[in-house]
Amino acid sequence: MERNEQIISAGIDIGTSTTKLILSRFTLMNTAGSSHVPRIEIIDKEIIYKSSIYRTPLLNETLIDMKSVLGLVEQEYKKAGVRPQDIQTGAVIITGETATKQNAEEMLHLLSEQAGEFLVATAGPDLEGIIAGKGSGAFQRSKETGQTIANIDIGGGTANIAVYQAGLLRGTCTLNIGGRLIEFDNDRVKNISPPVRKLLMQLGITLATGDGVSFDFIRPVTEAMARILVHILQRKMTRDDEVLLLGHPPDWKVPIDQIMFSGGVSECIYGHEPSSDSYADIGVHLAKALQDNPELQDWEWIPPAETVRATVLGAGTQTTHISGATIQVDPARLPLKNLPVYQIGMDRNLEDGSQKVKNAIQQAIQVYDPALEGKNFVLYLTDLPFLRFRDVQQLGNWLIDAYRLQPNQTNPIVIVLQDDLAKVLGQTLLAMQSDRDVICIDQILVEQGDYLDIGNKLQSEVVPVVIKTLAFHS
Amino acid sequence: MNTELIETITKLILEKIGDTSEEKEVPPISSDSGAGMVKLWDHLSSENHYMAAGTEKAADPYSALNSDELVKLWGQAESPETNIPCSETAVEDTILPELQTRIGVSSPLNAEALQDSVTKTPARVGVGRAGLRPKTETWLRFRLDHGAAVDAVYGNVPEELLESLKFFSVSTMADHKEEYIRRPDLGRKLSEQAKMTIREKCQFKSKVQIIASDGLSSQAIEKNLEDVYLSFLQSLDQLGIGYGTPFYIEKGRVASMDEVGEILEPEVVVLFIGERPGLISSESLSVYLCYKPRKGTIEADRMVISNIHTGGIPPVEAGAYLGSVVQKVLKYQASGVSLVHKEG
Repeated sequence: MERNEQIISAGIDIGTSTTKLILSRFTLMNTAGSSHVPRIEIIDKEIIYKSSIYRTPLLNETLIDMKSVLGLVEQEYKKAGVRPQDIQTGAVIITGETATKQNAEEMLHLLSEQAGEFLVATAGPDLEGIIAGKGSGAFQRSKETGQTIANIDIGGGTANIAVYQAGLLRGTCTLNIGGRLIEFDNDRVKNISPPVRKLLMQLGITLATGDGVSFDFIRPVTEAMARILVHILQRKMTRDDEVLLLGHPPDWKVPIDQIMFSGGVSECIYGHEPSSDSYADIGVHLAKALQDNPELQDWEWIPPAETVRATVLGAGTQTTHISGATIQVDPARLPLKNLPVYQIGMDRNLEDGSQKVKNAIQQAIQVYDPALEGKNFVLYLTDLPFLRFRDVQQLGNWLIDAYRLQPNQTNPIVIVLQDDLAKVLGQTLLAMQSDRDVICIDQILVEQGDYLDIGNKLQSEVVPVVIKTLAFHS
Repeated sequence: MNTELIETITKLILEKIGDTSEEKEVPPISSDSGAGMVKLWDHLSSENHYMAAGTEKAADPYSALNSDELVKLWGQAESPETNIPCSETAVEDTILPELQTRIGVSSPLNAEALQDSVTKTPARVGVGRAGLRPKTETWLRFRLDHGAAVDAVYGNVPEELLESLKFFSVSTMADHKEEYIRRPDLGRKLSEQAKMTIREKCQFKSKVQIIASDGLSSQAIEKNLEDVYLSFLQSLDQLGIGYGTPFYIEKGRVASMDEVGEILEPEVVVLFIGERPGLISSESLSVYLCYKPRKGTIEADRMVISNIHTGGIPPVEAGAYLGSVVQKVLKYQASGVSLVHKEG
């Protein structure tokens, strides 16, 4: 038997209130029979290190203390006995209100460069919800039971909802509901976040920083948050509820069977972590309001596998995919980061293929490289018919031709295929000697508008791939 | 028995069943509104078309039975057709039409779960039953698939295909198919004529000697050889690995490569050979590789990549992958279990 390859994945979550890190070890195995073309899969994920939960270091209200965050990560790596170069995959996620800090993007990119060669930078409220739902166990549970589960990850700044039905993502929604939206300093109000100011106005409550802490405003605010959450889950959002909505309204179209709470506020409900550090904010009260809301009790509450660590666990263990085993990649060109995906569906035939391919490349350039600065993208080829060798040659010709439209001809041609055809197409493109490097991988499911990161080639001849729904909302 | 006729009739009936089920996808607007609502197959007319039938529904027991069943079936599972991967239905020239009514169970307890299981395998699961027996469609398909398997064994690879790929043809000691099937040993030995021909025509001591053989499925060669072979050559060219003169062995077995190894002494023999057909596919191709095969080579030193066909690993991709396997065999100077040992 061949020995199974192991890789180390890191997950780092920089949230509104807390920052944490986990390291896990993935075991890859060829699960195809010995007489078949190999199929490499992740067969085991073992958490090898969990950091403590740290308060997110901030310089002031608008800046993250990047030096301290980096120092924190370095210190945790040392404790775990790994070096940045040992990390082969994983994701850094910047969540909640921290994502709105001025240097958030800079922080992400700094970390993804310094803390491992293929550590992917991710952000965006939808992605947060999706990742948290995987880390909390909601995704897995829905897959096993076939139920529709809403995972509600409530941290310091936002509540990120992801709805999974039988293992399929049905929709997301993000609300400005979090423990840290009103902060206290001893017995005084220290800070009120802008969305909560609006909510207070709507509720007819006057509150300013420096006022005394009182249930007179805490209770109405947390109760309103619980009420708005109920409306969102029921898909009965009113105009008043929009005050706490961040981004799009709920987009799932199925009724929810069960709910699961994860994130820091759920920690106040379930108490998984030993420390009872006080955060001097409304977190505990929000947890109480959720528990006391009678309408939320209409759904069955499923305790999460992870509370405050759900997102970091999701980022560290659920973001990596493995490509097909027969691929064609130029190792010198890897890793590739943050490439947007442009999809061409071939409708199961090659008629007008030449024009279709050309149009697609033209449009991809228009969308992703409008200023013709030479920004690259991934071409995602789907719904191909059964291809004979001569069809592959023809397709190769069309692609080479169309790719001449790209302004920067030194960029590699990056193609992702739905079907198991990457090696032959990659070899065909190379055989046509277009002087361009080729990265051609397959058996990865992505969507138009996703962003893709492709890692270094592993010993098993596969590449790790991280798919992100959106890197940064501008 | 005229096998062609049987196949034609079977196909006709299957098509008819397919057509009726398509018709039935449109839910009957109202069953009691009389004529024109139930469509029957007009088997008396030379032009095949449906005729409207109302009260005489029971007159044709076959159609009536079928339509009843199908109405129920389509009512239960929401258009199961959409769940069939298109790649399979798009293949037009296959001799095995896809099962169009994948869920055959009339009133499944959990249609979604059953559909999920059914789409995971080409095996005949969830086909339902009629009393103690299989349903007509299931049974006919079984017969058709079995017929196709038999045809694949007894068929011949067209000359034009071999000529177009520049494969010359030699035979083994097996004279005819019956003998080939009964005497596997004869399929492993080249005829004297064959030995002479390959000595004469082939490059001696090449790096890679490519051979094709019908084995137990001529269909496998007919459908897949061109794609897998051309793609394989492209990958060899890219890796800078040279290859000798390819040829075709009629009625050959896997171990026929041993004699080729003796005569031509290539470093690696790559043999494309038709697999024993099954009821899922009769056109599945295998590739056997062996480092310096000789008489007495043990089976553990051969390696195989199987399941190459439209519904398995795509032939073009298999060919592209094969180059890297040959590269590995050449690097370690071993194949099969020995290769695994050497790789560590």
